[in-house]
Amino acid sequence: MTVRPAIESGAFRIRILLVLMLVLCALLGVMLWKIQVAHGHDYVQDLDRQSVRRIRLPAMRGTIVDRSGAALVENEPSYAVAVYIEELRQPGVNVVDAAEALIRRLGELLQLPVDVTRDDIANHYRKRLPLPFIVWKNLSEETLARWAELAAGIPGADIYWEGLRHYPHGQTASHVLGYVGRASLTGREEEPYHYYLPEWEGKSGIEQSMDDVLRGRAGGKLIRVDVAGYKHADLGGLDPEAGSDLMLTLDLHIQKLAEEALEGHNGAMVVMDPRNGEILAMASAPAFDPNDFVPAISHELWAGLRENPAKPMVNRAVAGNYPPGSIFKPVVAMAALESGKIRPGQRFNCPGYMMLGKARFNCWHKPGHGEIELRKAIEQSCNVYFYDLGLMCGHEPIVHMAYALGLGRKTGVEMSYERAGLVPDDSWKRRTFSDGWRDGDTCNMSIGQGALLVSPLQMAVVASALANGGFVYAPHLVRGVRRNGDEKYRPVQPRLVNDLHWSSDALRTVRGGMFDVVMAPTGTGRKAGVPGIEVAGKTGTAEYGPKGSGLKYGWMIAFAPYENPRYAVAVVVEEAYSGGVTAAPLVSRLLGGIFRPAAGEGGAG
Amino acid sequence: MIDLTRIRHMLRRMDWALFCTVGALMVLGVLFIYSATWRGDGIPMSPFYKKQIVWALIGMALFFLMALTDYHLLGENAWWLYATAMVLLVLVLFLGKEVYGAHRWLSFFGVQVQPSELAKLAVIVALAKYLSRPGRDMESPQTTAAALLIMGLPFILILREPDLGTAAVLLPVVILMLYAVGVPLKTLIFLGVLGLLFLPVGWFGLDQYQKKRILVFLDPTTDPLGAGWNKMQSEIAVGSGGLLGKGWLKGTQNVLGFLPRTVAPNDFIYSVVAEETGFVGSMAVLFLYVFVFAGCFRAALAARDAFGRLLCIGVGVMLYVHVMVNIAMTVGLMPITGLPLPLMSYGGSFMISIMAAMGIVQSVYVRRYRG
Repeated sequence: MTVRPAIESGAFRIRILLVLMLVLCALLGVMLWKIQVAHGHDYVQDLDRQSVRRIRLPAMRGTIVDRSGAALVENEPSYAVAVYIEELRQPGVNVVDAAEALIRRLGELLQLPVDVTRDDIANHYRKRLPLPFIVWKNLSEETLARWAELAAGIPGADIYWEGLRHYPHGQTASHVLGYVGRASLTGREEEPYHYYLPEWEGKSGIEQSMDDVLRGRAGGKLIRVDVAGYKHADLGGLDPEAGSDLMLTLDLHIQKLAEEALEGHNGAMVVMDPRNGEILAMASAPAFDPNDFVPAISHELWAGLRENPAKPMVNRAVAGNYPPGSIFKPVVAMAALESGKIRPGQRFNCPGYMMLGKARFNCWHKPGHGEIELRKAIEQSCNVYFYDLGLMCGHEPIVHMAYALGLGRKTGVEMSYERAGLVPDDSWKRRTFSDGWRDGDTCNMSIGQGALLVSPLQMAVVASALANGGFVYAPHLVRGVRRNGDEKYRPVQPRLVNDLHWSSDALRTVRGGMFDVVMAPTGTGRKAGVPGIEVAGKTGTAEYGPKGSGLKYGWMIAFAPYENPRYAVAVVVEEAYSGGVTAAPLVSRLLGGIFRPAAGEGGAG
Repeated sequence: MIDLTRIRHMLRRMDWALFCTVGALMVLGVLFIYSATWRGDGIPMSPFYKKQIVWALIGMALFFLMALTDYHLLGENAWWLYATAMVLLVLVLFLGKEVYGAHRWLSFFGVQVQPSELAKLAVIVALAKYLSRPGRDMESPQTTAAALLIMGLPFILILREPDLGTAAVLLPVVILMLYAVGVPLKTLIFLGVLGLLFLPVGWFGLDQYQKKRILVFLDPTTDPLGAGWNKMQSEIAVGSGGLLGKGWLKGTQNVLGFLPRTVAPNDFIYSVVAEETGFVGSMAVLFLYVFVFAGCFRAALAARDAFGRLLCIGVGVMLYVHVMVNIAMTVGLMPITGLPLPLMSYGGSFMISIMAAMGIVQSVYVRRYRG
């Protein structure tokens, strides 16, 4: 049954068919060449773009300890539930719906109320899809357990771990330590990273001023993820470098004493080691609790802090500028003696007032002090003596001495918002009042009044110089820096700003006067005394507010022990009665605590 | 009953080059199904590749059975085969298992079969039988109309499942079989014009998802995360393969799941091949297929009768359409139609029907006129 010849004619058509089909195959081959070889690179880029993610690895912030190693700032782990919205994208599924459903499901599993709204999700999806969307923060252990049991492994959600700042001593040293907040996202930093949660950033205090050191260096990692967002391969990256730990010069014990002494007042107290400028305590009252800012401060609390007229957020020790009043007198005395125009034995008569032309300048002691010499004038804080002293040596040596001691400019301590204060001089007066310097200005300056403004920290530096014999050290708070991985803190060397080369005669007189202030039975600062300890100091009272309001700042600077001083103190109290009545007892309480035999770590110094 | 001498004689006459090519494609298929389901060391794999080996072995057995069986036996039972296929196609509409909104699967004692695969073969056999009948007037429009009817019934039934891709394969099969058998070109051109005129009507007959696929093909950016996703990811996979590819198991698009895991081993197996073996590998696979088509046409030319020739043409065209459409879809030249790649894509029904078809071609070749 051969029908072969009958179909022979069809062979031609079959061959045509085959050729046509092969031509199409060749076209397909050309297409493959175009896609795979000619444009292959574009597709490789597409591929990397969608499967390679850059993850920012935040660095652990450094801790802060006091000079003996007691923790002042620590990191505590905090757990949050994060939803990776990006990973929920799937063909034909509305991502926001999916995220909402997932969050609701997680809420049921974890028994947590769902506080985020659909708008939050949509907003996050629109603006920062690649970032994890934090749904619940600060999970309790119970929630974590529930997570591990029920919710772990649900795609698109994960536990986000982060170190939270913890200040174990609450308000103690709050102004020095400062607080942290979320760093603001800078476009530049966000862009190259797919996952990036803003890190902590110091907003005040050491946290802010040493932010660069504490923060460390954030790392990054390239990971290849699969379509569900699961990590597939590590493509390397840069490990984060933990921030450096700081050891402060603060002595927790002394810091607490200073704060206890200030309790009930608005004011500031600075305790310095006159031998090197280390700040042993820096207290400002009222204070705040930096823990309130972690992880974020509530609106009410923040409003309360900002609107509080006592301004608890202000570090009065560096940002408070006050007229010094009589605590400036030792500076005037040193200026006068060192100018060579006055000898230590110089005597002036105080009848209780002084007439300068038609103006009457009063001594605080109406009956007058009679004819006295410098040491007694310091002890008694006689205004008239200092008017005469100032007029005799002129204002310029005083201004120079004030500058030399660091007044009128920032000390450079590791604190933001430090204010320079003001040491008025001729050119300042001309600039400000279009008027030249007058003798009345000299008289005012001689008793620490007029336009003169100082910060408690600056006065602690002055007290230190008087204690150590004329060495002006840069006050500092950081004693050592411990790099990540190091065992020891690398010490920060004290910096001598100025050696004033004070003559021993002049020093003996002025320090002697300051000794009498506290130690003499008639001394204006005798309330600063501590049994068994030789304390020297100077009180001051400066009026402020509208004339006749009776508002006064009570000041005291002091150092102890008198021979080889280890502590220099400056304290100011707002709304005080006087330096001798209000401020001096605070110094006594502080020094009493420091020198109390049983006082443990702070006592021996 | 078994005549061993005869069997040995037939085996000697088989197109072994074609057989080896088919075997190579099947082995490659298993290898790349393995790769497409591979997730990394130590991660449990879906057993797709093992199942595929079983299908391949069953297919191989069927291949030899068909090759050794006289294809005229098929011709004698052509209408029974056709009727059975149509009954199954009707049954699947009512009893079929719904997968992704389509009824394509029938369950026989726990084994899932796709009646449309059988239908394709049945249409080829029936058309070959009908057109090869001695004395059939190829110039007569009635012949063409009858052929279209034979194809039309299963076409509409498969379209109802709905499975546009498989249904569409039948069109070029019948047209090219008509062409090969000697139907005048003007008749075929008339059919083409008619088809073009009915295209807009056909558009409204399409399901929403089918329209969407075509729209997404025309502009993939309209839905990059939805319907455009597969197309885009497949293109990225193919494109990133480069000249030499990333190496077996090294493809990231399927390992990472960007190429959806549900389709990587079946409809998108070629993009796995292209990503992992690059241009060189994808061209090599394409050449293997060209060799298979050529083998079918060689058998057609060598066939001892018109029935055998038409069988070979039908099978060759069906294979060709599958391969071309699948690859064109993989590289983004055509809408996603859901047509698997013969011999390589994962799937039992398709593997068995293709191997049966290859067996038929061999059966024709073995019984060729001379040589």
